[in-house]
Amino acid sequence: MAKILLVEDNEMNRDMLSRRLERKGFEVVMAPDGQQGVDMAASESPDLILMDMSLPVLDGWEATRRVKASATSAIPVIALTAHAMVGDREKALAAGCDDYDTKPVDFPRLLGKIETLLRREGKA
Amino acid sequence: MLLSLLPGRLFWLAAAAAFVVIGAAGGAVMLATGGFGLLQQSLIPAIIASVVAALLIGVVAGQVNAALARTHEKMRADYERKLAAKTAELSHRQVELRSTLENMHQGVAMYDAEYRLLTWNARFREYLNMPDEFFSRERSFIDYLRYVGQRGEFGKQDIEAVIANRVEQLKRVHSFERTRPDGTVLEVYRAPTPDGGFIAIYTDITERKRAEQELTRAMEAAEAANRVKSGFLANMSHELRTPLNAIIGYSQMLQEEAKDAGQQDFMPDLEKIENAGTHLLGLINDILDLSKIEAGKMTVFAEETNPATVVAEVRGIIAPLAEKNGNQLVIECPADIGPVETDVTKLKQSLLNLLSNASKFTKNGTVTLAVARQGDRIVFRVSDTGIGMSDEQMGKLFQAFAQADSSTTRKFGGTGLGLAITRHFARMLGGDVTVASTPGKGSVFTLELPLRQTDTVKKPAAMAQQGKRTVSGNVKGERTVLVVDDDEAVHDTVGSMLGREGYRVLHARSGTDALAIAREQRPDAITLDVMMPHMDGWSVLTALKADSTLADIPVIMLTMLNERAIALQLGASDYLTKPIDWNRLSAMLRKLGRREAPARILIVDDDPEMRAVTRRMLERLGHSVGEAANGEEGLAWLGANPAPSVILLDLMMPVMDGFEFLERLRQSEQWRSMPVLVVTAKALDAKDHEILNRLTQKIIEKGSTTGVDVRMAIREVLQQRAPAKATAV
Repeated sequence: MAKILLVEDNEMNRDMLSRRLERKGFEVVMAPDGQQGVDMAASESPDLILMDMSLPVLDGWEATRRVKASATSAIPVIALTAHAMVGDREKALAAGCDDYDTKPVDFPRLLGKIETLLRREGKA
Repeated sequence: MLLSLLPGRLFWLAAAAAFVVIGAAGGAVMLATGGFGLLQQSLIPAIIASVVAALLIGVVAGQVNAALARTHEKMRADYERKLAAKTAELSHRQVELRSTLENMHQGVAMYDAEYRLLTWNARFREYLNMPDEFFSRERSFIDYLRYVGQRGEFGKQDIEAVIANRVEQLKRVHSFERTRPDGTVLEVYRAPTPDGGFIAIYTDITERKRAEQELTRAMEAAEAANRVKSGFLANMSHELRTPLNAIIGYSQMLQEEAKDAGQQDFMPDLEKIENAGTHLLGLINDILDLSKIEAGKMTVFAEETNPATVVAEVRGIIAPLAEKNGNQLVIECPADIGPVETDVTKLKQSLLNLLSNASKFTKNGTVTLAVARQGDRIVFRVSDTGIGMSDEQMGKLFQAFAQADSSTTRKFGGTGLGLAITRHFARMLGGDVTVASTPGKGSVFTLELPLRQTDTVKKPAAMAQQGKRTVSGNVKGERTVLVVDDDEAVHDTVGSMLGREGYRVLHARSGTDALAIAREQRPDAITLDVMMPHMDGWSVLTALKADSTLADIPVIMLTMLNERAIALQLGASDYLTKPIDWNRLSAMLRKLGRREAPARILIVDDDPEMRAVTRRMLERLGHSVGEAANGEEGLAWLGANPAPSVILLDLMMPVMDGFEFLERLRQSEQWRSMPVLVVTAKALDAKDHEILNRLTQKIIEKGSTTGVDVRMAIREVLQQRAPAKATAV
């Protein structure tokens, strides 16, 4: 089953999202800040990364840039952000994110995006 | 004169002519009578005739003379009357002029070609507080300037140089502002007069200045409040959505788990939690939308789209909602409706708002969406067979937070913002939304939009950008200041302030623009806001200083906080905290805005690396540079080259160190007063300081800010040598 790296600083959101993903059969690993996210992208070799944007240490945009600038560049990244503001989508995509979803998460929609990207990578 | 001569001259001419004519006639009579042999007898009568004729001529001439004299008198009287009238008129004019001058709210003075006072009014005396002696013809404006200079009003500047400068200015129309010691601000306007003198007009603009400053303060307060509001909304959005994310997520998760575990009893309550969460999310989204609309931050992205596709998508979303209330959803949209140019997201959201309202307020009825083209417009009609509305209810319909009545909210839910937002959207897209309704029968909402967007709607960002000034102030001004700020109000206030001071002002609204404009136009100075979206002031400053073609443009940072250390470390020339103190900004720009004249600078330093770096920096500023590797070489260079304007001196050098170099330099008559800036890494003791303070202008420690410090010190030295342009009398 596909392995998802969830980079999220809010403990409740991390718990909730990971449990729901696990219920759908995914293996979930978690990082609480951008730097650990970048590190785990390399050490855990996940099939997909769900990246919150407002993160401590290293924000999601910068973390995505680093993930996409190294050997981990092929891992698809979905940006998750509470800022549903104009330009956030563009900013996330400019940082190298493959897709984008706003929080609160519409779970079925997010699942659809995850599956699309994994199919593209031949991992689903 | 001619008039008074003419009658006399004419009289004598006339008399002489008459005498000749009559004498000749007498002679002719005499010859004629003599010719007939009657000469003897006729001689007497002829003489008598002649005498009579002469007498007659005399009488006639006398009469003519008298007549001419009378005419003469009459003309003279006429002339004198006119003269008197003219004189009276002149003196009247004089009174008029004087009253005008004295009643003006401005001080006025006229000077002749020698710059001596010709005319002035009382207000002029009052404004200038000029000692009485300067109102004498013996003293000129130049004497007055000298007096003002001696009183210390030109600061450290050379008085004669200031005077020369002022006199030069008098040849052109010019104006400036002057603050008197008592705080009143005068606007001085001077213009040359045709006779080589000039007129000076002094206006008291203290009130205007004060009002302007108050306005600026009020505007800045409003800007600050607005920033706080925007920041609050953005934060609120984030802070509210994060826990909401958990609430909605956990309730959904529990529903999944309850279903899997066969615990259906929990489902209704879990659904209620989820619905309440979703409702709250909708509320937050709507409030954010509305605040963005009100702040003018909502933009339109027009694109060509097929309305049939949009309608199909909307149908997919709304069908479950309609079914929930037992409604039938009818869509009437011709497949060949044709393309529409509009903002698809806003169109979709508007249709969803109208349809979800209709579905909510209708039970077991029909909700219809009919789409049709009407001329150059497309019309979306949403009708329902629901509860309908009274006229009074319809009146409040499109207002934010106003549902038909407060009980509606309790009964049907909703935020009451949907229709207000829909109307805003419709109007942004060049259309409108209207309603017709009958209580108990149902309602019809009509959304009509143009088929094509006008250019203004299509490119609001670009248009707004174009509409904004990129250049203002004194467009022909010699000195240019680039103002970088994302806040339009700052552009207005700083722009008009700098414009009044004679600067040409360039405007950049973002960091990227700022760099492009700086490269293209090479302004003399830049004011840079710190808080800007996308690329903040610090990044812009760093980029400016990293670009060798821009690094020497002085930058004044405008910050909300006191961040002087960062500002100077990153290479800013100065910094100001907002709200902006105009006088300080103006003074800073005056100090910075002056381009230094190219100067010769000698670097005496044994470190070739240091010499090379300094040379590059100085050459970029347009100076020419000489180098010497120790004190001895330095003295040799001075002997062989024209005197430099400044010497940059290292202390620790082989052969001859900096101290010895200084001693020798100061012994020489020729180089005694040459400015020397010490640039050293040496730890100086009290004795060193004493010597250096006596023999040099400044001590600069080698370190991370050496470049900036050296540049500032050189600028200072050069400015002291060449007195700056005078500002105001």
